Amino acid sequence: MSRLYLYGITRPRDLPQRLQDEGISLVPAAGRAAVVSELSEGPVETTRRNLLAHADVVEQLHEDAVVLPARFGYVLESRDEVLELLALPEIESLLERHEKTCELTLRGTYDESVLAEVGAGLQSLREAYRAAPSVDMGIALGEAVGEGLAERRARDAAAVLDRLNPIALDVVVSEPNGELAAFNFALLVERDRVEPVEARVEELAAGLSPPLHFKLVGPLPPYSFVRLAMPAVA
Amino acid sequence: MQRESSAGYITRAPRSSGLADVLEILLDRGLVIDAYVRVSLVGIELLTIDLRVVIASVDTYLRFAEAVNRLDLRQVDDSKSVPDLFQSGTEEVASSKTKGAVEGGMDAIREKIGLGGRGGDDDEDEEDEGRSRSRSRGRGNDR
Repeated sequence: MSRLYLYGITRPRDLPQRLQDEGISLVPAAGRAAVVSELSEGPVETTRRNLLAHADVVEQLHEDAVVLPARFGYVLESRDEVLELLALPEIESLLERHEKTCELTLRGTYDESVLAEVGAGLQSLREAYRAAPSVDMGIALGEAVGEGLAERRARDAAAVLDRLNPIALDVVVSEPNGELAAFNFALLVERDRVEPVEARVEELAAGLSPPLHFKLVGPLPPYSFVRLAMPAVA
Repeated sequence: MQRESSAGYITRAPRSSGLADVLEILLDRGLVIDAYVRVSLVGIELLTIDLRVVIASVDTYLRFAEAVNRLDLRQVDDSKSVPDLFQSGTEEVASSKTKGAVEGGMDAIREKIGLGGRGGDDDEDEEDEGRSRSRSRGRGNDR
């Protein structure tokens, strides 16, 4: 009995030839279908290639219709297990919820020039560091810059969120990742409302850039909005 | 797949376009099915550790201090702010001492955009950060 790697769950349909050629298939049952590929024994390697392949499959399929993307690394031991999964009522409600939605991720990152802006208010520390660029003075200055940056980040993130909240169905806020990262939002929006969101982001960017640079990715499958609260089956 | 907006302050990508996007999305998000156990994954630790940046470190502070000092010095040397430098045209930039760094940075940026952003290796995040740094010198005023 072959093991099946799970990419996500969708509605029954024809798969694009390209995906079929890559060994992707559907296991359908009662209006729902698991997107899987056969897997040989052994662990799933978390390589760049495998991660990108997983994203490619769910994102390609999401272009045409709802896909609940699975987290990377789910392997089901048999077709029966897949059918069991598809029968869960929670799966049906998630599919219904996301029938017409998509996710946009928006990340903000500062240019290094933000440091000059933050540092502008720290003249005495800057002068002291320049006069005697010791490690201690560097830490004192750098710490003050870090605090200023944290305040700036909180302010900008709140401003952006305030403007996006009203036009999103839901928002997930994550920790920004990186020294000059400002914010990291996942927005759930209707598929046909992507353009107004883009326009709003353009508008925000015009007001906050530089030093803030925006990266908007999507429309993606609702990666951040498919949490299941489900009792574990013993 | 990626493109910059005409004003240069938005990067727009229709799909997850690099290891950084995909890592966060596929390892931290996505459908979690408690009833099933994810089978042994190999390599996650290495990949995720690479991405985590410890913000409050001495190293970070020293780099911040150095950066502020450098940006400060450049303004003193040129008696001009970085945006002024760019608004005043390329001849002046060319004669400025900062030329090498500025032009090099912009070339690197153009090259990146030209490549379409669909990066080829796991160093991508460092490159991304490098781009942010370079951009501060460019400020985008010439776009």
